[in-house]
Amino acid sequence: MRVAVLQENLAKALSIAGRAVENRPIQPVLSNILLRADDARLQVAAINMGLGLSISTWIGAKVETEGDITLPARTLTDLVNNLANERVDLTLDANTQTMNIRCGTTVSNIKGISAEEFPILPEGGGGDVAIPGKVLRDMINQTVFAAAKEDNRPILTGVYTLFEGNTLTMAAADGYRLAVRTAEIERNFAEPLELVIPARALAEVARIISDDDSEVLFSLPDDRNMVMFNIGNTDVSTNLLEGKFPDFAAIIPKNYSTATVMYTTDLLRACKRAEIFARDSSDSAKLFVQPASGPGEPGAVRIVGQSAERGDNEGLLDASVEGEGVDISFNIKYLIEVLNVIPDERVVFESSGATNPGVIRPENRDDFIHVIMPMSTGR
Amino acid sequence: MVRKILHLDLDAFYCAVEMLYDESLTDAVFVVGGAGARGVVASASYRAREYGIRSAMPMSTALRLYPDLVIVGRSDGRYSEKSREVMRVLHDLTPYVEKISIDEAFLDVTLLPDDGAAIAARLQKRINDTFKLPCSLGVATNKLVAKIANNIGKAKAGTGEPPNWIEVVPPGEEAAFLAPLPIRELWGVGPKTAEKLAALGVKTIGDITRWPEAVLDQQFGKHGRDLYRHARGIDERPVNTERETKSISKEITFDTDRTDGVEMRRVLRRLSDGVGRQVRKSKLKGRTVSIKLRWQDFTTLTRQITLDHPTDSDNEIYHAAERLFMQNWPPGKPVRLIGVGISGFDEGQRQLGLWDDVRTIEEDQRLQDTLDDLRDRFGDGTIKRGSDLRREP
Repeated sequence: MRVAVLQENLAKALSIAGRAVENRPIQPVLSNILLRADDARLQVAAINMGLGLSISTWIGAKVETEGDITLPARTLTDLVNNLANERVDLTLDANTQTMNIRCGTTVSNIKGISAEEFPILPEGGGGDVAIPGKVLRDMINQTVFAAAKEDNRPILTGVYTLFEGNTLTMAAADGYRLAVRTAEIERNFAEPLELVIPARALAEVARIISDDDSEVLFSLPDDRNMVMFNIGNTDVSTNLLEGKFPDFAAIIPKNYSTATVMYTTDLLRACKRAEIFARDSSDSAKLFVQPASGPGEPGAVRIVGQSAERGDNEGLLDASVEGEGVDISFNIKYLIEVLNVIPDERVVFESSGATNPGVIRPENRDDFIHVIMPMSTGR
Repeated sequence: MVRKILHLDLDAFYCAVEMLYDESLTDAVFVVGGAGARGVVASASYRAREYGIRSAMPMSTALRLYPDLVIVGRSDGRYSEKSREVMRVLHDLTPYVEKISIDEAFLDVTLLPDDGAAIAARLQKRINDTFKLPCSLGVATNKLVAKIANNIGKAKAGTGEPPNWIEVVPPGEEAAFLAPLPIRELWGVGPKTAEKLAALGVKTIGDITRWPEAVLDQQFGKHGRDLYRHARGIDERPVNTERETKSISKEITFDTDRTDGVEMRRVLRRLSDGVGRQVRKSKLKGRTVSIKLRWQDFTTLTRQITLDHPTDSDNEIYHAAERLFMQNWPPGKPVRLIGVGISGFDEGQRQLGLWDDVRTIEEDQRLQDTLDDLRDRFGDGTIKRGSDLRREP
């Protein structure tokens, strides 16, 4: 194998594929990155057997001799990141499985493991559904944060994905909050199709989608129960999670006793200030929703974060309050995370009391809804 | 304002309490601790210390040092009761009391009119008279020097008898008092730091003061800046009146190593129940559950897991502990000690869940409260888990 690539391209490819490398794999070859040269391009790929996630990306290369090898991800990435932005020559000594890497006046040799020991990567799927890149990125970002991080209930570490008619629905919940986002797609699914895709894999997909990627091609499950996303020159494939995603439609509140409209960025900043002090008390901060004191007066929302040791913060926001006042505690980090993914100018907060689920959604839009459970103080 | 800080230590506390209950121990060479093959000395009487017997020493070693050693079993109830009574006396003197352990406390007596030495003498006499318990005190302008003064004072007192000593370091003489002492007397100087300091040619606390702060900072980081100040007898930490509970744990050393997973899970269940009960008693909820496993060769493994919400429930603690156990115990590997702990406490706030069945939570809590109540009133053995009733053949 003998190829030449640009340092910049190789570094980018390594940063994309490197995200799939396992931390402490069972087999040494799994901490490696696969490099395969053919047809004027270089494939850079990694696989995480534990997660069932693989990422493959291709960059343009001047290929003199085809071939393949796996190299330790960490060593290769650290090295390439520290090379000058110039042409990099990669020459494999097939006898010793050592890759010679030249860039400018720098020469390195990295010992590898034969590509034959690397698991077989999933092949590019059919690209059954085309989804606009930006739409998919938003859908993922607006749901993955609500997925469970622990695997107490493994199914909740995934994002429920439903194709039905011309609508794609994504939903994630960690048991304390729920995020649901819908969008129209071109292909019509007469038969609904339900999948639960690992949130971790989707987060990688969202990270890879750039503004240049007009569309992402999604391949439906194959016989190995895997799905694949094709984003420009990159393929991300992942196992699906097995099991039934809990019924979430039933927990979305149908009505409310208070609806409050606030400016998103003001609310987000107030939450971030309260969070500084809420850290010491399970991240619990209090929201006091106060209806207008008279006609023509604005309503208000007071947000309070307190720390017995460090002090407190209180923020007062103008708000349009419809209905009765309410005092309610939330994990303020949850509020921050959802407000972070709402680009709209104003948000609505709907509540039916201090122990009932609250709803956060962008004003004048019905394709995104976030349900969040309050915290109860005391037992 | 120059502070007046006392460090009080009840001399050989467990032994002294046992002597109150059994006069025959007065002149005996005895220790308090476990008598079994794996017993450890919890407290050594001053007569026993003459033979080199120390607390935390394996009982077998102690017996080798003095074969006629009298071993008195622990009666923890007595010690905590006496300790509470003593602490009450300290609180009579000043509200600024920081209890460090069952037999040790700091007092800030700055606001009292007399000088530190006189207050210490009066307090010592009161504890001697009221409880017939010996105690030693260190008096200084801060916690660090008061504690070290007490250690040094007790060592000066001679052997065979409880020291019942008072050591005073007058204001302004802190650095001079510390200078000749070995570095290990300083807080936070463990074997590793000592080794690094030795490499710098530092043997005494005074030697440390010859190094500029920048060098210590570079060598030891934040710890280095502490060394710089502590070596000069500077310590501004206040006497903490409410000491925070950082963790709660229970562990058990088996009399013979265990290899049976079912049995060990049953023990984990019992330990988890105990931890849960203490957490609830302290009105705390913890987020991080840990287990401790000690193998035959004494190597110890601790593993922890952070839950997504704080808990005080026996069941939740057990499920986390069991999971850690299953992940970290190679089946068949003999286990010498097993323990369960919880930490990461914050106030009793509960994150409500989307799929919470409010009824189940309430029922669970009611059951838990009833169990706690029964155990409080009739003792730990009253109610057992079904899992504890089954005995393997």
